[in-house]
Amino acid sequence: MTFHLGYGTNGFANHRLDDALRIIADLGYTAVALTLDHNHLDPYADDMPIQVDHVASLLDRLGLRSVVETGARYLLDPTRKHYPTLVCDEPRGRIDFLRRAVRIAAGIGADCVSYWSGIRPSTVDESLAWQRMLDGVSAVLDEAEKHNVPLGLEPEPGMFVEHLSDALRLRDELGAPRLFGITLDVGHCVAVEPVDAATCIRSAADLLVNVQLDDMRTGVHEHLEFGEGELDLSATLAALSEVGYTGVAAVELPRHSHAAPVVAANAIAALRAALALDSEWVSTVDHPWLVEAEQRVRSEPASIASLFPAVGRKVGRAPLRPETDPQGLVHGTVDDLARIRLLTVLAEVLEPPSLATEIAQLYRYGDDAERRGVLRALAALPDAVVPTGLELVKDALRANDIRLVAAAMGSFAAQHLDDHNWRHGVLKCLFVGVPLAAVSDVDIRADAELLRMVGDYAEERKAAGRDVPVDAVTLLEARA
Amino acid sequence: MRIFDPHIHMTSRTTDDYERMFEAGVRALVEPAFWLGQPRTSVASFTDYFDSLIGWERFRAAQFGIRHHCTIALNPKEANDPRCREVLDVLPRYLAKDGVVAVGEVGYDSMTPEEDEVFARQLALAIEHELPALVHTPHRDKLAGTHRTLDVVKESGIAPGRVIVDHLNEPTVGVVAESGCWMGFSIYPDTKMDEQRMVAILREYGTDRMIVNSAADWGRSDPLKTYKTGLAMLDAGFSESDVDKVLWQNPVDFYGQSDRLALDELPGFAPSAETFAGNSVLRGGGST
Repeated sequence: MTFHLGYGTNGFANHRLDDALRIIADLGYTAVALTLDHNHLDPYADDMPIQVDHVASLLDRLGLRSVVETGARYLLDPTRKHYPTLVCDEPRGRIDFLRRAVRIAAGIGADCVSYWSGIRPSTVDESLAWQRMLDGVSAVLDEAEKHNVPLGLEPEPGMFVEHLSDALRLRDELGAPRLFGITLDVGHCVAVEPVDAATCIRSAADLLVNVQLDDMRTGVHEHLEFGEGELDLSATLAALSEVGYTGVAAVELPRHSHAAPVVAANAIAALRAALALDSEWVSTVDHPWLVEAEQRVRSEPASIASLFPAVGRKVGRAPLRPETDPQGLVHGTVDDLARIRLLTVLAEVLEPPSLATEIAQLYRYGDDAERRGVLRALAALPDAVVPTGLELVKDALRANDIRLVAAAMGSFAAQHLDDHNWRHGVLKCLFVGVPLAAVSDVDIRADAELLRMVGDYAEERKAAGRDVPVDAVTLLEARA
Repeated sequence: MRIFDPHIHMTSRTTDDYERMFEAGVRALVEPAFWLGQPRTSVASFTDYFDSLIGWERFRAAQFGIRHHCTIALNPKEANDPRCREVLDVLPRYLAKDGVVAVGEVGYDSMTPEEDEVFARQLALAIEHELPALVHTPHRDKLAGTHRTLDVVKESGIAPGRVIVDHLNEPTVGVVAESGCWMGFSIYPDTKMDEQRMVAILREYGTDRMIVNSAADWGRSDPLKTYKTGLAMLDAGFSESDVDKVLWQNPVDFYGQSDRLALDELPGFAPSAETFAGNSVLRGGGST
């Protein structure tokens, strides 16, 4: 599963909403955090329902996932920033606004509505503010239930609900309502949380409904571009993957509207670079090219023939675990993983006979990397293509390119290849130097005949005065 | 000395050659698709050959720390054989591959109407696939063939900067220099060019757009001719940076136009004793 990189429209305050959405999509983002404001889908406009329909269809056409943000500065009160709030003396205006936001979110198909508490006025004591939060959030949750839209409470520096722990405590006191979620701004974690963003992500984990991405410095609530503050972006994104987050993670730079298109382009470049550091990113995060390629394969299956060879050039070729597996023989490479994903999509749209034909063609006309991609994908394909897959595996086992041999001996071979060919595959790995770690289920499938073959091979090596491969020794000793 | 051999038929060479090339400084090369000495009789033997260029030979070169790229085309000689011409229909599949850095070798052998047609069609493929083109000039009637080559290149609409005209010599270098195409020279033991004549041409025409290759194949040839030309250049007073330009930077700039060169060092490459001791080149079948 994957999360979606987005950009916040509050960073495009000087753009028409339609223009902002198009620019964001064109840059390769697959999501948007939409801040309702007087010029961006105004909840108080007379033609609001028409605007909602318009935005819903535009988001659909652009393929953008969305969340609704409610942090506009002067939308409710033109003289006082962010007023009214949930904790001020007259919170009704805020509650009404948030309920409208819930309906708009339902109308545009957004993941959630994100909100904060507001600053506690000096005249309001803590217990009263807390009671107002409980009451206000409950009132908004009633509306949320009607439309099945989750709410994301965002801890905000300087506001009454400032820390993640405050938000979690509020949730507990409300009885952990189903639609009570958390919006986490990873920059805020740097500024005010006692632990880093990755740790906050892990403690919020399943409650996360929205994530805001920006850089910040300790103690200073100023939204900065990536690299200008102290955030470990790579570790933060990796933590999102790790907890299985599948929602929107949108860049939050509300004070950069003056240079929005450039800032947004720089941000996605930084995000891509940070993602590339996580060796398994391609399996957990949508690389923009791969997302587009998957969409194309879905709508036009024949496009696989031209997309398949281009994978390495587009997403890279690095081994997934370079420290222990520099050639990618055991765990494969980034392009292997991307090709598996493309073939998984292909398997969803093609009937088994056409799928089998296409797989055979991709292998037949594939270079070494494409053939590896096909071989590693076989285990993920439907049973109807097993006969074709077996032909391809046998072909690969006749090759002497060790990367093909390694890719052929994965879980598909363990499950489907006949004993004779499987034993010869294992022996070939020992011969050509493919680590047996690349062979699936050796422990389960190794039989007396294989051990005899490996034993003879070891004897032959010794007779020639040569070393016996460590993997062969290990296998023989384990079964001795 | 850092060497990129922009034209060498490694399929015909041994592992000894790979070892000597690495020792001499060769770190990357391009293997153009060409004929094999023995004529082919079907499309299938072309596709098997192409598969080897984008797979097995790349792997074999990697065993010796050398980055292998190739060019793909129907060569001029076999363009005359109707049994082979159908290979044109499968070329697009191969031109999409990683490591395929140009359409080539195309051009003329005997300057027949069939060669005209196949040459023009493949230049169109180069434009369509956004690849440079490697053009072979004929062994016989070379000057006339070179003129005609440049006319076809011009008519095709491909930018001259994306074309290399290869196997040039003293009589043919001038017209190619004027055309804006890159100039390729094959340095051979006793045909085509030699090192000393090459140095003289570099003196006269300078080092811009100049590319030197060994074009080594199954005939009498020497995969170290690039290296030896570098030595001859140094002897003749050219600087290290001139040599680097001709033997590395120029071919990298030319083939780099494909955006498909991979020049980073091979991952984990070290000429390991394990690989070389027991087996030759992972022949697998049991050389114990």
